[in-house]
Amino acid sequence: MIHFLAMVLLAACVSLVFGVVGRATTSEQWRYGLRVFVEFVGVGLGLAWLLYWIP
Amino acid sequence: MAEIEEGRSGAWLSGFLAWLVPGAGHVWQGRWGRGLLLGGVVWAMFVIGVWGFGGRLFDPLNDGASNALERVYGLFDLGMGALYVLGWATGIGFVDRAELSTYEYGNAFLMVGGLLNYLVMLDAFDLGVGRKA
Repeated sequence: MIHFLAMVLLAACVSLVFGVVGRATTSEQWRYGLRVFVEFVGVGLGLAWLLYWIP
Repeated sequence: MAEIEEGRSGAWLSGFLAWLVPGAGHVWQGRWGRGLLLGGVVWAMFVIGVWGFGGRLFDPLNDGASNALERVYGLFDLGMGALYVLGWATGIGFVDRAELSTYEYGNAFLMVGGLLNYLVMLDAFDLGVGRKA
């Protein structure tokens, strides 16, 4: 569980900075930051699921 | 012409300040909200990395490093500027606590925090030079 929480916390920090630095307007920053966050967590879960099946 | 030169030197200074104290480059430009938000994330990652998860900072010039990658990790950590220098001077964050189960998480937070501050530094420079509005 702590592994997942650490990943979510790391994703939140990175997506916050990416969002602010990567886009110009506030609405674009929110959208981009949220997209990066979902991608981070989604890819992390996807990789974890893949590795679960690899012995 | 003199104004352009002044703008450029201001941009270099804000970039340097952003490296030295995360968030300070933007605050120096008068962008308080952006500076506090971006700097706050980097500071929080330092605190979480060192005290929350028990990670450590690496020395890029350490000849006795068991793993050559530790030098690269050190370059990542160095992005935290004064936080890294203070840690180096006082020993805070340079203690190896590999016995902790969260040790690697802490290292990841510290390295990513340093890398993010390099980005914040570039952002402050770009804003200072007028590439961003």
